[in-house]
Amino acid sequence: MIYGKGQKKPYKPEYLRRHERFGFWMIAPSMFFLFIMAAFPLIILVIMSGFQLDLTCPAGNRWVGLDNYIEMMRDSRFWHAMKVTAIYTFSTVLLQVITGLALAMAFFRSFRGQGILRVSVLLPMILAPVVVGLAFRTMIMTPEYGILDYFFIWLGLGSKPWLVAPNWALFSVIIIHTWQWTPFAFLVFLASLNGLPMEPLEAAQLDARNSWQRFCHVILPMIRPAVVIVIIFRTMIALRAFAAIFSATGGGPGTATEILNLYTYRESFNSLNLGYGAALGTSLLVITVLVSMFFFRMRKSRI
Amino acid sequence: MGKLTRREFMCTSAKVGGLVLAGSVSPGILTFARAEAKNEPYLKAGINWRQVEGEQIKVLVTPAHYFNKFRAVTPQFTELTGIKVDFEVIPPREMREKAVLDLGAKTGNYVSHTGDPMFLSLYEANKWVEPLDIYLNDPKLTDKAWFDVEDIIPLWRASDSVKGKLYGMPVEGEATIHIYRKDIYEKLGIKAPETLDELQETAKAAHKMDGKIAGAALRGFRGAGQNVYIWPSLFLAFGGKWFDDKGIPQVNSEAGVKALEFYCNLLQNYGPPGVENMNWPEIMEAFAGGNIVQYIDANSTASIIENPAKSKVAGQIGYQRWPKGPSGRRVTSIWNWTMPINAALSKKKKVATWLYIQWLASRPTQFNSAVFKETQDAVVRTGVNRVSIWSDPEYRKIINYTPDYADVVLTSMKEDTDADWRPRVPEWPKIGEAMAVAIQSALVKQTTPKKALDEANSNISKYMGR
Repeated sequence: MIYGKGQKKPYKPEYLRRHERFGFWMIAPSMFFLFIMAAFPLIILVIMSGFQLDLTCPAGNRWVGLDNYIEMMRDSRFWHAMKVTAIYTFSTVLLQVITGLALAMAFFRSFRGQGILRVSVLLPMILAPVVVGLAFRTMIMTPEYGILDYFFIWLGLGSKPWLVAPNWALFSVIIIHTWQWTPFAFLVFLASLNGLPMEPLEAAQLDARNSWQRFCHVILPMIRPAVVIVIIFRTMIALRAFAAIFSATGGGPGTATEILNLYTYRESFNSLNLGYGAALGTSLLVITVLVSMFFFRMRKSRI
Repeated sequence: MGKLTRREFMCTSAKVGGLVLAGSVSPGILTFARAEAKNEPYLKAGINWRQVEGEQIKVLVTPAHYFNKFRAVTPQFTELTGIKVDFEVIPPREMREKAVLDLGAKTGNYVSHTGDPMFLSLYEANKWVEPLDIYLNDPKLTDKAWFDVEDIIPLWRASDSVKGKLYGMPVEGEATIHIYRKDIYEKLGIKAPETLDELQETAKAAHKMDGKIAGAALRGFRGAGQNVYIWPSLFLAFGGKWFDDKGIPQVNSEAGVKALEFYCNLLQNYGPPGVENMNWPEIMEAFAGGNIVQYIDANSTASIIENPAKSKVAGQIGYQRWPKGPSGRRVTSIWNWTMPINAALSKKKKVATWLYIQWLASRPTQFNSAVFKETQDAVVRTGVNRVSIWSDPEYRKIINYTPDYADVVLTSMKEDTDADWRPRVPEWPKIGEAMAVAIQSALVKQTTPKKALDEANSNISKYMGR
């Protein structure tokens, strides 16, 4: 609706305004709780990051402005955590998209026993990440007695240091995360495949030289929005992963699997350096927001 | 059946009520008499145990077997004092975080917790807990002669004191000792090692002798209370010092690097697979399963590995003090679970808490709980806090795993350590974390021992403002 110059706001009948007021009061409680539970802690976090707030030397606590951030730039453990976070996020998202897509393609055509298989594919997602981390640590990736080692030894490949050698441990936590969250990608891709119009697919069946071409040039472009959505969601989740790594390796051995989130936790709750921990938390927040904004932009501009 | 008239109904109810009452009164009297007998040792104390009757307190504890025993005997305390004690049982790391959050926020949810003495300086610096001398010196609250605080192992009291004042009460503790398979030593014809070098020799000789068994194990898991509960003994035995005379940290000194190299060599070459992530329970279980020749850890593990229901190697185990380091010293850890009083409590709750702590740390409770059978296969407590119990023949008979077990532990506690085995400063949580990362990084070859300790040392310097 376009209103001419000098025209006032359109007349709103009383019943509409009443509706609006009613609507406002209906959402007020949830907005209030959202503020208390989400916005308020974030504001406190950002404020805290400007303080030296160290429980181990309470005498020195004071406002320090950006000192915590300057300190962070010089902190080698922070940069290491950034590197691990980047590797972890990139590889888990990539692996989830690839395996999720492959599984979805496999389930696209109906076959016998599909129901049971589909349920079993979804199972990992139902588990709590802490349980997953502990199960991998104590049952699956345990040296010599674990299920994986059992097979490796049986195949003659020998015991592998799944969670105890630095590079292996990083590899293992990436596998654990991928194992647990691929079902999410699978679910989105399958839904999106099932929603595709049949005509282009049938035409492709006739025109394309092989199924790989059909996949690359017809199916993939058509489910592109779903791929982008999965990447956005999974990146955001991977950036703030915590429980599974925490219970599987605790960020160790050494600092090999210490993503930024875990370092923040250690700094805040093990070293009790709350101000610096808050600065680390804020930086993680900023990174997550920036990365998500980037992906959302990408999604908007090309569809 | 006819309708019940009101009168009949009343009459029947009264009869039933009378029966129920009669039934409950007689056992009530019996219980009372039994309670009197049980309470007798406590009634000798010249204080009024029931002065804050009806109070309710909540204590944070870990699920360790010794605290299970404390929890199991606590109903006797409620009988004696009328104070109800609730427990929240969670693993040590989470418990510590919860305690710090509760203390820091001054919510006073937990009146006390089974704390880490290394945190008492931090608590004191923040005024989160109260010095216990207020309570110890109040004749209304403590019968000094009866409680006899001097009888509590002196080094534990020292480690629980800040600036000369006791801030937490030791209720249970331990020393690390060298625990080995006698049968394997005999088979190989080797003697129990006198020095750390000899220890490494025995590990080498026994490693994989049957194709599987590991030569030795020490805690590899990262944490201020895990790998930094073992390495300091090596560090000091190699002649190291945490700080020099000017207070500058020295963990990357030659002794520090040598100690870490020793630790890494031993575990990398002769440790069980996955030792990098092993804490004491995993080590103890691997030993009980016959997969490790020897380990150095808490004496309290003896009560499990000597229990034939839980261990394949019971009866084949030898115990001795830590082997000597190059400096000629044997160095054991110092550890006790300490119970402070939360400063954010009301006066009455503080009194109730003190009464509980006093009761728990007293000689009768320490002795009773040590042998209390809360379940059929319950093990005994090997960490009583009183010198007089350690020298009590009745107690020594119970923990007579080998003829010299009790003496090994007692001598270790008396001679092989000191209160400043780890630096007792408010900054300890940060120092502990830095050391834990350094030790584990070197163990998994993420970096070299020298580099790891250099970095830790520069961090510690920063924390200490040097």
